[in-house]
Amino acid sequence: MSQKNNNKFSGYDFVKESAGIEEYTLVKNSLRVLVLEDHSAPVATFMVTYHVGSRNEAIGYTGSTHLLEHLMFKGSRNFNKDKNTAIWTELQNIGAQINATTWNDRTNYFEVVPSEHLDKAIAIEADRMRHAFLKDEDRQPEMTVVRNEFERGENSPFDVLDKNIWATAYQAHPYHHSTIGWRSDIENVSTERLKSFYDTYYWPNNATVTVIGDFNKKKALASINKYFSEHPPSHEPIPPVYTDEPDQEGPRRIIVKRTGQTGIVGIAHKTPKGLDDDTYSIQVLGKILAEGKTSRLNKLIIDKGLATSIFMYDFPFLDSGLFISYAFLTPGTDHKKIEDIIIKEYKNILENGVSDAEIKRAQAQISATVAFSRDGTYAVASALNEAIAIGDWTFYTNFMENINKVTGASVKEVIKKYFSEDQSTTGWFIAKEPRV
Amino acid sequence: MSSFSNQVITNDDEGGIKTYVMPTKVKDVVTISGSMIGGSIHCDKTNSKTAALVSSMLDKGTEKKDKYEISETLESVGAELSFSSTRYHTNFTGFCLKQDISIVVSLLAEQLMIPSFSSDELVTLQSRLCGNLERDKENTKKLAMIHFLRTLFPEGHPNYRETINDSIDLVSKITKEDLFNFHKKQYGPGSIKIAAVGDLSPEEFNKQIQSSMSGWKNKETTIPKAGEKARQPREGNETINVQDKTSADLYIGQAIGIDREHKDYYALMLGIYILGGNFSARLMQTVRDKQGLTYGIGSSIAGVSFGADGYWSIWGTFAPDIINKGIKATKEQINLWFNKGVTEAELSAKKTTIGGSYKVSMDSTAGLVAKILSNAEHGREISYLDEYPKIIESVSLSEVNGAIKKYVNPNKLYMVSAGTL
Repeated sequence: MSQKNNNKFSGYDFVKESAGIEEYTLVKNSLRVLVLEDHSAPVATFMVTYHVGSRNEAIGYTGSTHLLEHLMFKGSRNFNKDKNTAIWTELQNIGAQINATTWNDRTNYFEVVPSEHLDKAIAIEADRMRHAFLKDEDRQPEMTVVRNEFERGENSPFDVLDKNIWATAYQAHPYHHSTIGWRSDIENVSTERLKSFYDTYYWPNNATVTVIGDFNKKKALASINKYFSEHPPSHEPIPPVYTDEPDQEGPRRIIVKRTGQTGIVGIAHKTPKGLDDDTYSIQVLGKILAEGKTSRLNKLIIDKGLATSIFMYDFPFLDSGLFISYAFLTPGTDHKKIEDIIIKEYKNILENGVSDAEIKRAQAQISATVAFSRDGTYAVASALNEAIAIGDWTFYTNFMENINKVTGASVKEVIKKYFSEDQSTTGWFIAKEPRV
Repeated sequence: MSSFSNQVITNDDEGGIKTYVMPTKVKDVVTISGSMIGGSIHCDKTNSKTAALVSSMLDKGTEKKDKYEISETLESVGAELSFSSTRYHTNFTGFCLKQDISIVVSLLAEQLMIPSFSSDELVTLQSRLCGNLERDKENTKKLAMIHFLRTLFPEGHPNYRETINDSIDLVSKITKEDLFNFHKKQYGPGSIKIAAVGDLSPEEFNKQIQSSMSGWKNKETTIPKAGEKARQPREGNETINVQDKTSADLYIGQAIGIDREHKDYYALMLGIYILGGNFSARLMQTVRDKQGLTYGIGSSIAGVSFGADGYWSIWGTFAPDIINKGIKATKEQINLWFNKGVTEAELSAKKTTIGGSYKVSMDSTAGLVAKILSNAEHGREISYLDEYPKIIESVSLSEVNGAIKKYVNPNKLYMVSAGTL
């Protein structure tokens, strides 16, 4: 059968294909559907990504996207406790791995199922897309569940420092607050506000469905059509986030002091939007700085016994994000000393660049990571989910090709463009002696 | 569905290394994981941390390469190779692209066979490990678990844990000679088992293992039978105060007196799974979902491998101001479960869960490798992996409820909580 004929399915428009992944639009309601058949194991992953995350929140209802995600498991029209078809029970009893996650730009719900049960996962996700109960009697106990999740995070000095760095670096843009939100907002947001959030963002035209694994494409698409076509597209346009972060006009600092044992240093710089071409050079820079024993900061900090571990992250987001280098200090190590080492190394790259060998090594590391992101249906769906969130799923399929275009000159250029002192936010976690 | 027996190619070479290779349809990637007998249980009685430091030093240099050359070799092809140790084993895991298997296998052999154990690297490692241990002093979960296990098991039992301060002291005392002595005594091909899954040829893989590790002198080594048994269960309650923590960790449980090979193991495991094995189990459905007292609570059996008598426990987290409510709600569920037993419907559902989970765990090479290696370490034939769902299916309701009555005593539960309490 030709590729052309293989893309024609009742109720769908074929959009494009990349690396074996096919994109369709469900004509009736503009639901985007991504499909990849892979018969390596008798397993399929079904995932729904909603294009709503904590960037769509504001003061008073921070954490709402995440709290709503929790309430989505409390029951819907066809899957609920009264009918003895509760979502967790239905899916865990067949051995499925199920969960949902919320982040800055998206909320995703997923099921990894023995392939013969794919239909059940599709039915559940379609049902709760527009028929979730969202009852106040469910919100009350779930609020304390989420509050304990918040409290668990607050136990970690790293989590607290990381939240503070974001809150200091971003003042106007909603990346200012973490996805779990502020404690008082978690406690006080009303069920009506959550329902309004649901009715604003949970629509087929604001979602992408991904199905990967051991299934028959024709049958799977027919099933998605059957269950999701009952929903119309949103009655109102999905509201955009229009808040821009004002320019940063000088370095910022934040210090967190708390009873603890050892210190942490985090140095952040603002990065471009995830789909910007500079993202790839910044990803390579991160590997050169902190990935593996031969990385620059590993040699300068870990090998000298100054920190127990270092790592950096630069997750591509829909809007500008942060490149943050973290060092977990060994007892007795001075915060300033570590900060100076990291900044000096940034300056070193600015002045002297990086070697071709470093670029090649970083590209090889990323190449292997990309290959392993295809190891298993969930791995593929999960990687696609993040690309969907930043606005283009082919970011995932074209990622390696773009990484291979990175040069020493482009790495030097991003250091110059984004890593100036005035654009920095530095955070210290200082461990205080326990009170007697 | 094809069986493990049909897909896993086993090989037993002359040196004693056993391999378990499973080619799959995944493209380009290979996951390798293996182990040899040699964990903390095999250390000199004066220092149980030697095995951990030996495994942590394996990537710090060999007689032929320094640590940068090792890392450069791996990183230049994006491969990873890491070492660790447990109570019983030294473990290694590698991830690589199919064309780089020989690089990883060759390095693996060199690192296992001829480590250099540089004095400078040892000092740096000790500083890092002690820093991590200092950080553990504010980890409420770890503190609660250590105190819980120290109460259930006496020193010398495989499930016993040192205090964090004792661990720091032990790590600091280890010398280069200790490392060489442990390596000489314990490391050898005799007990090595290696599982490899992904885009690879069993014949080629086995050839590479043989050529890289040939000449390595065999060592007869076994896992000794645990000399100590768990302490008699007793009711107790311990609180560890850690300042500035917004969530507290709670452990409740007791020793069960049996290991994984005991005839009652599967029945008890299923009973405890029904209590708190996943989200749809009783603890999460009540203490979290209905009452909203915790983000997470669950129950499991642990410490039952290689002849050790293990324990069952519940772990949960609570805000300090509602932890007493959480404890009360948890104990109500334990009593209900113990007094009334589990139902046929619950057992049937959990059997289906385990059967389905079994398939889902095959989703990645890492999942498959872990399953195959663990099976091999326990000395089981590959066919056990195919039989496991049937074994679970054969457990009856009366066996599950009988095991709960036999091995759980709600009046003698030990409880440890850690946090700002």
